[in-house]
Amino acid sequence: MRRVPANQIVVPHRSNRRFYGHGIPKVDLERLAGKLIVVEGADGSGRSTQIAMLVEWLEGTGHATVQVGLKRSTLVSEELEKAQQGNILSRSTLSLFYATDFADQLENIILPALKSGFIVLADRYIYTLMARDMVRGMDEAWLKNLYGIALEPDAVFYLNVPPEELVQRSFAKNTALDYWESGMDLGMSRDMFDSFMKYQKTMQKTFRHLQASYAFTIVDGTRQAEIINAELRKKISAVLAGR
Amino acid sequence: MKTFAELNFPGRLVAVEGLDGSGKSTQIYLLKRWLELQGMKVYFSEWNSSELVKSATSKGKKRELLTPTTFSLIHATDFADRYERHLVPLLRAGYLVLCDRYIFTAFARDVVRGCPPEWVRGLYSFAALPDLTFFFKSDLEVSLQRILDGRPQLKYFEAGMDLRLSTDLYESFRIFQGRILEQYLAMSTEFNFLVVDANELVEKQQEVVRELVAQNVNLASFRRAERLPARPTPAPQPKAVKPEEPAE
Repeated sequence: MRRVPANQIVVPHRSNRRFYGHGIPKVDLERLAGKLIVVEGADGSGRSTQIAMLVEWLEGTGHATVQVGLKRSTLVSEELEKAQQGNILSRSTLSLFYATDFADQLENIILPALKSGFIVLADRYIYTLMARDMVRGMDEAWLKNLYGIALEPDAVFYLNVPPEELVQRSFAKNTALDYWESGMDLGMSRDMFDSFMKYQKTMQKTFRHLQASYAFTIVDGTRQAEIINAELRKKISAVLAGR
Repeated sequence: MKTFAELNFPGRLVAVEGLDGSGKSTQIYLLKRWLELQGMKVYFSEWNSSELVKSATSKGKKRELLTPTTFSLIHATDFADRYERHLVPLLRAGYLVLCDRYIFTAFARDVVRGCPPEWVRGLYSFAALPDLTFFFKSDLEVSLQRILDGRPQLKYFEAGMDLRLSTDLYESFRIFQGRILEQYLAMSTEFNFLVVDANELVEKQQEVVRELVAQNVNLASFRRAERLPARPTPAPQPKAVKPEEPAE
């Protein structure tokens, strides 16, 4: 990493901000001086490792950071966790519940932080939520309207790791596959391994479909963490410089 | 958007809408009693009553954490839960479902709170329209007085305090309710509201409601099968029976 002397801290370039759709009422986009960086990818794709490394780097280069992620809102995270454990909510309900969780963080963390000039690192964003719902048969137009509240990020990185490797990483870490990450609720297969492979393949296909509407950078997540991070830093540097 | 009848559901949905204090809850309760006493398959559902979402909603309201967007989304979540787990299955099973408030409450309130109307309507686009929607149209002052008489302690969101319309709770409530009324009136024609004069006596209103339900719903098809042998010829009730005849 190139060392930036303390007196040469890069002041982030102002970006042209927009919401994907109707947005949040009464938000002055001009005042959002910070940057929003999203890291997407399946469980085990290395998102948290990458984000932790990015925080180190950003803070080292003089930028204040804030982290957000799914199911972390003050408003509904506990209730959402409970509901998910019982698998009792039907599709639209779960979808709207997740959207509430997202909106709460958007309005109470992301937007205020951007206003204060922070770099916001989002461990997943609306794309995972949309992809999960689309795989479960929800209407894409309905989801696009719902998530029209979301702010367009300055950069979105999708860590692409093939299901074969995700499964290995998952076993190395937990020795078990996660119910939801295996899409067991879909009834694709009673065999959890089969279900995991099928589900992850379908999710990747859906992400590629979403890439057409929400341009994001697909990053090869099979490489060493440092190599991946170097690529992310290079791209984020360009964003900060307004290139 | 289609009604449940247009979607060929065997069940029918009747909704009541109106301002707080318009008397709609009393009216739908009396309608429910009338139908139940005739041995009908009736189910009643209230706005904002889903068990799952309740704790989040009350936490958000107590701590004043809600913004117009999250207020809207959390109510949509509540509605979706009741819709998918209760309303739709019951309507499939041929029930007469009565709803104290339906999607129009969200259309009115969320828009007054500043959410874009198209966004709010989009959220609820998974829901079918009621087969009958009663709108209890009261003078603003009458509704306000009813609420203020019975429950002088107004709640923060109920009074629309989050909108900063006034620092006075009661003044805020007046302005907020007035704006909601405007929204209701603006959608009255579009959604075929059956307008009931809520300034009338309880009995007069109930008579109108029962008559309209009897005219528009084939009530005979909602009788419980097991009640039939016991009551081969249930007393026909084309006209409303007044709910509370004074005791002699």
